[in-house]
Amino acid sequence: MTKIIGKNELESWLSGIMKERTVFAPTRVDDLILFRPVRSANEIVFDYENTNLSPKELFFPRTETLFTAVPKDGDIELTPTIVDQEVILFGIRPCDARGIAILDGPFLDEPADSLWAQHREKTTMIGLSCTKPAPQCFCTSMGSAPNDASNVDIMLTQVEDGYAVETITEKGEKLLQGVELRESDVQPPVPTCDVNIPAEGIVEAITKMFDDPYWSRLADRCIHCNVCAYVCPTCYCFDIRDRTDKGKTERIRTWESCQSKGFTRIAGGYDPRADKGTRLRQRFCHKLLYFPQQFGALGCVGCGRCVIACPVNIDIREIISDVQKIGAEVGQGSN
Amino acid sequence: MVADFTQQIRDKAKELLEKGTVECVIGYETGSDGFSARPAFIYESAEVERLIFDNTCSHNLVKYLLNKKGKPTAVIVKGCDSRALNLLLSEKQIDRDNIFIIGVVCPGVVEWGWNNHSDQLQIRCNWCRQHNPVIYDFLVGEPVTEGPPDDFADIAAMETKSTEEREAFWREQAEHCVRCYACRQACPGCYCIDCFVEQLDPEWVGIRIAPEENLMWNTIRAFHLAGRCISCNECERVCPVNIPLSLLNRRMEREVLGLFDYRAGMSEDAVAPLITFMKDEKLGIGE
Repeated sequence: MTKIIGKNELESWLSGIMKERTVFAPTRVDDLILFRPVRSANEIVFDYENTNLSPKELFFPRTETLFTAVPKDGDIELTPTIVDQEVILFGIRPCDARGIAILDGPFLDEPADSLWAQHREKTTMIGLSCTKPAPQCFCTSMGSAPNDASNVDIMLTQVEDGYAVETITEKGEKLLQGVELRESDVQPPVPTCDVNIPAEGIVEAITKMFDDPYWSRLADRCIHCNVCAYVCPTCYCFDIRDRTDKGKTERIRTWESCQSKGFTRIAGGYDPRADKGTRLRQRFCHKLLYFPQQFGALGCVGCGRCVIACPVNIDIREIISDVQKIGAEVGQGSN
Repeated sequence: MVADFTQQIRDKAKELLEKGTVECVIGYETGSDGFSARPAFIYESAEVERLIFDNTCSHNLVKYLLNKKGKPTAVIVKGCDSRALNLLLSEKQIDRDNIFIIGVVCPGVVEWGWNNHSDQLQIRCNWCRQHNPVIYDFLVGEPVTEGPPDDFADIAAMETKSTEEREAFWREQAEHCVRCYACRQACPGCYCIDCFVEQLDPEWVGIRIAPEENLMWNTIRAFHLAGRCISCNECERVCPVNIPLSLLNRRMEREVLGLFDYRAGMSEDAVAPLITFMKDEKLGIGE
């Protein structure tokens, strides 16, 4: 049997939650769709494809204070940031939820990042299956699916008279306590994402063609902005700097990207990735080689954001296909 | 018409590469959506068939010449892009002898977006008075008569708002900004080796991606482009959160036009007002 919640019941359940906790949901901001705190269910956009920016921001904010330092009694008092806000993240897509689960790898590996851990603990995720994947989507090729419920606490899938509800975790169960769900024999639709990107064996292929001139040719076109990294649900590089204002110092981290000039510049001025080709290669090697080597999964979830946001059409799907082709040729040459 | 443009560009590119006049032709090819153009770098005459020209050719390719210093290169420019060439020539950033310019009389470019089959012209085309390239070695298309002077209606409309309204508007835009620097990276006028925003000593702008710092970033960039912006509006096209940067850049452009009767990039030996001092210049301060 499928458990169903009607659209009106869903909205009144969410309204109830909003009275006690902060609910982030996809909402329209000018001509963008972004995860923002919403105060009423009317503000939520239910039928969106995907948000312009990924919800990784709720766990890894674009700017976050790690701790503050103030002089006190001839010493320095350090105060770490405590995340005390309980957050409900409503309407997250399976690809983005997978992105957050994947980032547990680098962030929770010992020594664990305490801020990431706190955000994870304080957040309950209510997923929303994609009914119609967008043309740039390729989640199935990256090990997920439009209705993949494995990385959320509660999963909703739109059916004719409401949403089919799957309770995945204890956190989800707790949140649903006291909510009346209807039993129904309606089978929720199983949406498909038909784009097929040849990701299998990509680790071997990219290793083989690591030194291929392909990267520098591709870098001809790249303008080395940080758009791809900042819209990406799995890019997690950051910079750290201290900021002092009126005697109080904050240690701040902000998003950074391997595409920035100077990202790897070290003391003395040497930069091991000084040219555009090696910088661009780093982005794809991190996602398709180093990340799987370290943490198992590919560092891409197929959300397609970079595909549409790149100003010069550097398309990861095309790159995966090219890498496979060149990797196979190089492999043959060495035999 | 456009198919003919494509053929003329391919023929010229082939000739230039075969004769060894240039090492590379920077033009446009069809992107991964099978529809919108993207920049293309052609090194072999056998590859000229990749080149296209149509109304999705939005990118200002002049920026790429900064990566080709010392290497003979051909570049395809629309009217607005050609003004960027003049800007970089007048600021001594590129060497005219190394560049072969294929100018295209621009039919206007449509709203750009991956898989976005729009037939709506970009806003830059509304204010454009430079469909004909101002500098070229080879021209594709018949020059057209340009429209009457720009009335800066968008800027005037913005100015009808109160200071408070405008401040609220820009604060909201600054909330969206993620400081990805796509605006800077796409801009042919932004070529500083060390951009002020990344300098550590002095630290002009703090590291935070937050409204205060974001406003500072966008405002100072606009000032650095005053009298230099050539209105290609690539910054606005590439912005992932759609910040209307043209409202800042065109406000400065109107100011420079009014004060000095100057439009950037109209000739390769132009004397730009904000980096020049004339002996008989009126300062307007303390006089």
